[in-house]
Amino acid sequence: MDSLYVAWRYVTWNRGKTLVLIASITLVAFLPLALQTLLNESERQLRTRALDTPLLLGAAGSALDLVMSSLYFDDEVPARIDMRAPAVIDESGLAYPLPLYVRFMARGAPIVGTTLDYFDFRGLQLAQGRLFGLLGEAVIGAEVSMRLGIGVGDSLVSSPDNLFDIAGVYPLKMTVAGVLADSHSPDDRAVFVDVKTAWVIEGLGHGHQDLARTADSSVILRQDAGTVTANARLVQYTEITPENIDSFHFHGSAADYPLTALLVVPDDDKAAARLRGRFIDDSRYQLVRPNTVIDGLMESIFRIKQVIDAVIVIVAIATLLTIVLVFALSLRIRREELETIFRIGCSRMTTVRLLAAEILIIVTVSAVLCAGLLWLIHINSAALVQGLILR
Amino acid sequence: MSVECHGRLFRISVIQWIVWGLLLCGCMSAVAADRLVVYSVNYPLAYFAERIGGGHVEVHFPAPAAVDPAFWMPDADTVAGYQGADLILLNGAGYAKWIERVSLPRRKLVDTSRGLAGSYITVTEGVTHQHGPDGDHAHAGTAFTTWLDFNQAAQQAGEIAAALSRQRPERAAAFNENLQRLQEELLQLDSRMQALAAAQPGLPLLASHPVYQYMARRYGLQLRSVTWEPEVQPDDSSWRELQSMLVRQASHWMLWEGNPRMETRKGLERLGVQTVLFRPAMNRPATGDFMTVMRANIEALTVAFDAPD
Amino acid sequence: MGTATREKMISIQTLGFSYPGAGFRLQVPALSVASGEKLAVIGPSGSGKTTLLNLIAGISVPDAGQVQVGETTVSQLGDAARRSFRITNIGFVFQNFQLLDYLSVLDNVLHPYRISSALTLNRPVRQRALELLDQMGIAGLQSHPAHALSQGEQQRAAICRALLPQPALILADEATGNLDPDNKQLILDMLFARVDDNGATLLAVTHDHELLPRFDRVQDFADFRGASS
Repeated sequence: MDSLYVAWRYVTWNRGKTLVLIASITLVAFLPLALQTLLNESERQLRTRALDTPLLLGAAGSALDLVMSSLYFDDEVPARIDMRAPAVIDESGLAYPLPLYVRFMARGAPIVGTTLDYFDFRGLQLAQGRLFGLLGEAVIGAEVSMRLGIGVGDSLVSSPDNLFDIAGVYPLKMTVAGVLADSHSPDDRAVFVDVKTAWVIEGLGHGHQDLARTADSSVILRQDAGTVTANARLVQYTEITPENIDSFHFHGSAADYPLTALLVVPDDDKAAARLRGRFIDDSRYQLVRPNTVIDGLMESIFRIKQVIDAVIVIVAIATLLTIVLVFALSLRIRREELETIFRIGCSRMTTVRLLAAEILIIVTVSAVLCAGLLWLIHINSAALVQGLILR
Repeated sequence: MSVECHGRLFRISVIQWIVWGLLLCGCMSAVAADRLVVYSVNYPLAYFAERIGGGHVEVHFPAPAAVDPAFWMPDADTVAGYQGADLILLNGAGYAKWIERVSLPRRKLVDTSRGLAGSYITVTEGVTHQHGPDGDHAHAGTAFTTWLDFNQAAQQAGEIAAALSRQRPERAAAFNENLQRLQEELLQLDSRMQALAAAQPGLPLLASHPVYQYMARRYGLQLRSVTWEPEVQPDDSSWRELQSMLVRQASHWMLWEGNPRMETRKGLERLGVQTVLFRPAMNRPATGDFMTVMRANIEALTVAFDAPD
Repeated sequence: MGTATREKMISIQTLGFSYPGAGFRLQVPALSVASGEKLAVIGPSGSGKTTLLNLIAGISVPDAGQVQVGETTVSQLGDAARRSFRITNIGFVFQNFQLLDYLSVLDNVLHPYRISSALTLNRPVRQRALELLDQMGIAGLQSHPAHALSQGEQQRAAICRALLPQPALILADEATGNLDPDNKQLILDMLFARVDDNGATLLAVTHDHELLPRFDRVQDFADFRGASS
């Protein structure tokens, strides 16, 4: 007795029908499982990052925007705070602040303006080169290095804020001082610069010819006692080099310089609780625990997922009914064949066995396909989540 | 005693010496490993750190002797040295512009004049420039020789001691003891300066360079500045500027950061102005230390105040 | 079974059968077929010829009388026993061949062995299947799909399938009904030859009167009393 052989012949003979059945079953099984895998991975990534970041200080407003920008370098720019905020944290004596200014992009990668302490805090290792030392230097994440094919000594130009922004943001050509080792985190996708370099991109700091000493009078618009007004011919450096670095300087009060957030690292849990207490009623700032914000986000995601699950269940039932219909129709088409095998001397159970063998083959192939696809999703889940969800 | 006995004693004493030697080496290397690496942006802060930290800190002040540390730009290797330090002592008050152009780990920065920020002196000299008719950038600077007010110097030393104690709480007592001794000496300088100034209140003084603002404020000195460099012979317009200053108010003493050229000194003497060497000690002195330089400064200034007006 | 002497292969007495709810009733007072005999059964359409084959094969159970095949009283066996008896002792040849399109010619011949637990597919069986195909002149077509064959070739493959378990009794229901005249003679020749080789008995229902002289005996259904009640 060889029902599987006969069933195999039958399903391979009816290729079209078999492929449609396999595709439907595979999809119905694969979709919810893949979705679950990706959601689990997103949650893992979101959680790991959130748990690694005890507190986050930002301007009062959307806590989610603040967390997404500061932890995952999402392109939504939260309301800004200024350099008075780190002083507030410093003065509390309860924590130390890590400034973050995440606003600009360079060839599709977010530019993260911060200080060297960030690398210590995140435990990031260099794969090559060194950390940024001079203004205009950048340290790039592993993925940026791979995607753009650049390494130590190469340069990277910041993207203008918008194409017609002629007054504000000048593209800055940054030199890659180091490349980070793969950390399987959003840091892989970022370009890190000193927060002062980010301010240079913003136009708060700049370098130019010494106006008092310049021999080229054509750049001078007006010269009063002590005040020199330059016209647009004044050379704006778009690259910071050892030759011109001495001319770079910042204008205005340092306290007014912008930041998007502070990573706040409290001395201990008690200090964290006390610090949180201080900011509860603050109208300018919000001090959030990223993990709590992610809790809220995951709740929303899981509510959406429940809806999707319900839809998938309905689709699965519809698919199942379709499959039952397909088999029922196929039994009708094969009535003569089944009658013949009964007349030859087989029981009615033979029909059931043949049908079961066909279903077994189709389900097995679907399961193998589904498992293969899920395996692909699983091994690429970190990258997929970074590429599709946490962009 | 038998020869055999002598030999045994000798062996025991050799082993004892070896054991003591090993213990000593161990202790020394433990101390060395435990030493805080401190980088400073000027000499006074480096000196304070050396005094307070004693053997428990390794103080680096890498600016070459020939440069003015306030307007210096370290190379990449030197910056890497600063980046690797346990503590980086900043003077604050806009001192050492180069720190704006490099990346230093924020957690390791110690702004020693943090507590003085409200009483910085703003200087209006320098060029204001504009980019186009609507963008005005004031380059108004801040006077930065904060330590020449010895009371302020004592406060800056206090910040250094606090930072060292935060890094090594187990040594806080030793640091505080050293700090007290240092602050006593600084406050002695402070009282001597106050006593000196009280001898002739309002004595009109000149300064070759605007670096004595905090000192003038603390001790109530009548100080007017030109912008002369010790190694550069002033030109005619500089002399005319000085003469017109002297016409407005006579003054017989000019404070110098370094010894002026002989011609300058003679020219000043012809105008009845004597040279007083008062070194701010921004860089490490060739001989002596911060205290000996400051005591010599006060000695020199004593001559002016003790002289009959 | 399979004795060479002229013993009775089929013995029917006072057989009665009617389909539930149908007006027709089949009645066979007596019919006996000797072992090795080739009997043709003729009769008008609807006279119950196929029903008779079903009763002999144990597909249907009579409500009166008995059907004995060889030593076995088929009508007294249980359901499973009748199926098992049928697949091992009776070979069916159908008018429309009943080959499976999705199987090759050889797989069609082996099909009963693949789906029935009463038969065991082994090397000698495969060897015999190939010999049968060769004897029927379609050895070269063994791996062709059944639907690609001509009607004559299809019926030859169907005969191979019926004969492979070496049944003592072959029941042919209008086996030549769908064939052209040349093929009719040829297929009948081949069927007779294989039946003779196996020493089997043949009971063939047919409408084809020109073939009747080739049978040992002809049983006309008009001789039975089949009537509407």
